[in-house]
Amino acid sequence: MSIMEYNGGSVIAMVGKDCVAIASDLRLGNQALGISSNFQKIFPVTDRIYLGLPGLATDVTTLRELFRYRVNMYTIKEERDIEPETFAHLVSSTLYERRFGPFFIEPVMAGMSKTPSGGYKPFIAATDLIGCLNFAKDFVVAGTASSKLYGVAEGLWEPDLEPEDLFETISQTMLNAVDRDAYSGWGVIVHVMTKDKVITRTLKGRMD
Amino acid sequence: MPDMVSLDRAGPQQRQFNPYSDNGGTILAIAGADFSVIAGDTRQSEGYNIQTRYAPKVFKLTDKAVLAVNGFAADGNMFVKRVRQRLEWYRHAHAKDMPLRAIARLIQTMLYGRRFFPYYVYNILGGIEEDGSGAVYSFDPVGSYERESCRAAGAAQSLVQPFLDNQIYFKNQTAAPGTTHPKHLPLQEVLSLVIDSFTSATERHIEASVGDGLEMYVVLARGSQLQGLENVPNVQEMTTTSDGERIFIIRRELKKD
Amino acid sequence: MNSFADRFAITGPIAELRKAQANVEDDEFSDAAWGSEAGFGSLAKGIPTFTVPNVPDPSSFLRLHTDDHADPNCRIKIQHGTTTLAFRFQGGVIVAVDSRATAGSYVASGTVKKVIEINPYLLGTMAGGAADCQFWETYLGMHCRLHELRNRERISVSAASKYLSNLVYSYKGMGLSMGTMICGWDKTGPAVFYVDSDGTRLKGDLFSVGSGSTFAYGVLDQGYRWDLSDEEAQELGRRSIYAAGHRDAFSGNTCNLYHVKEDGWRFIGNYDLSQMHYEGPSGTGYGYDIRVEGRSSADAPPATAA
Repeated sequence: MSIMEYNGGSVIAMVGKDCVAIASDLRLGNQALGISSNFQKIFPVTDRIYLGLPGLATDVTTLRELFRYRVNMYTIKEERDIEPETFAHLVSSTLYERRFGPFFIEPVMAGMSKTPSGGYKPFIAATDLIGCLNFAKDFVVAGTASSKLYGVAEGLWEPDLEPEDLFETISQTMLNAVDRDAYSGWGVIVHVMTKDKVITRTLKGRMD
Repeated sequence: MPDMVSLDRAGPQQRQFNPYSDNGGTILAIAGADFSVIAGDTRQSEGYNIQTRYAPKVFKLTDKAVLAVNGFAADGNMFVKRVRQRLEWYRHAHAKDMPLRAIARLIQTMLYGRRFFPYYVYNILGGIEEDGSGAVYSFDPVGSYERESCRAAGAAQSLVQPFLDNQIYFKNQTAAPGTTHPKHLPLQEVLSLVIDSFTSATERHIEASVGDGLEMYVVLARGSQLQGLENVPNVQEMTTTSDGERIFIIRRELKKD
Repeated sequence: MNSFADRFAITGPIAELRKAQANVEDDEFSDAAWGSEAGFGSLAKGIPTFTVPNVPDPSSFLRLHTDDHADPNCRIKIQHGTTTLAFRFQGGVIVAVDSRATAGSYVASGTVKKVIEINPYLLGTMAGGAADCQFWETYLGMHCRLHELRNRERISVSAASKYLSNLVYSYKGMGLSMGTMICGWDKTGPAVFYVDSDGTRLKGDLFSVGSGSTFAYGVLDQGYRWDLSDEEAQELGRRSIYAAGHRDAFSGNTCNLYHVKEDGWRFIGNYDLSQMHYEGPSGTGYGYDIRVEGRSSADAPPATAA
């Protein structure tokens, strides 16, 4: 059995027109046994970056605290918020520090990054458990339902979705993918981010 | 024990006997109200190597039954050959084609006959039932089966099936107030979902095991209209009898990388 | 497993397989293949024959290539994961099962029929190998019919379950996997027998089988009485399957409910577990979060749409 399947869980992030969305399931399991239906896997890093940490639950907690510490140190030194691209490299190098004894986490991040002209453009990225970055232009997935998420997302996603359409697309992708995965599910949470706000919704999913 | 003479010091030797291989690919079948679509890609691979870009996985059994096989190609081809032989014997004994639900049970007993030396094959049987309804039966390698209205199997099953749950069964979708979701989709819509499923699977499947070509069989119930099938490019009729059921094949290209 | 004695023994499963190997060539097609005996071959000859690989130890060959719980990575996936239950009470037998089949973490099907309708008076449940249960319980149904024709009366549940138990016992060690409850009504009244592929056969009032059985037992034991009314008993069956489907990753999707009475079994219904969670039988869902929502500061009421 894969260590990713010990606690279960999945995260997906998608790009839309001047917006991004990130979603995860809410299950925490002990292999086949469901323990919690309110386990947070997505964390706000700054006002414009959300980080999803699917994988081993103990490492979810550890990494959340580690990134909070490192981002705070960055903010104090630089006297400004970290940019999504910079944060992605921080995630990557943090994971690579444990190259030969990795955290069992495959992070997914979504954010809005500043453009030179002062506007914002959507940003998503994911890494493997030792920090190999993947900057995708459409969507990124991770976790026990990753293959199911790829299949549905590839069928439903299209370029330049408006925030509400992106919400519908990512929600349908997540709900249908986790229903075919034994280790993910028990509810879904979705964050849709535009340049000036984040809308968070908890979805009623199947509870079996 | 000094008085015992051992003739074979090394003890009995045993070598691994591995008669199975995975030849990749994906198959898919969807049942409509009065039709059935059975599809499969045509790539045959072993690991990252492509053995051939055209090896059919979907086979016409009778004018109302089509069988898709996925898994180990050698077992699959042999299995189809044996099913066809049994169907021919049935034709000689009864002067008619075996009904679909009987073919399904036949496939169960044939697969279970190899319970201790299984065919490494996932079967999906599609066609028209005696009552004129479209039907899909899916099997595991040792013969457990169930009638369904939509099933994907093979390398990309986990990519395709949740998409179909959403688009065919309308899972996780709420119908607009006062309306209900349709029980069956029209043929044109089913065909475009099948094509979308295969292009998605070809795009994203991790190993190079889905692609090259797509073969879609369409079985139409007795007396049903062509439902726009005549306008589909590359369609070819395969009907051999004048019993009423009609069978067509549509061929398309998929990505070859 | 593959000891010297095994290889030359004339009794035991290995020897049986060796005999079967010798039989394969001349017996692959019986006369039945031409006509219609449902492909089960001639029943007059007894047990159907199986193709067996020509290796010293066929059962370890099978174990190598098909998954049991120890090795989920091998090629031939056999469906696993289940919750099934059956219990006897004043009003007959309640049989309730879930409908999920999993292969590794993938939910292969959410619509499996895990109650096998052997004949109008007998039901069998399915846990373990789906094909093993389907095939042998269908086969059992044919022999129950033969029993009726020969003896001018229906077979007892006890006899039917013993027939199945003896049958699977003759394949012991060869890799069959089934845990089933044979349920019905005969001269003795309602009856439930647990039969599995190890050869165990138990008579009892209440059984649950499968990966979610512990969760089902929790609800079942708490609510079980002999003098349950029909409605109470059906609700107990449903509620137990819901509990298992909720907590066990390998159980879920829907619940199929059957009730066996003196005049045979009746299909009560198919219930979506998700609907049971949110709506339940009387408008209040079974779900814990549904029941506590808005009742305390820790369980805040649902956010109203902006």
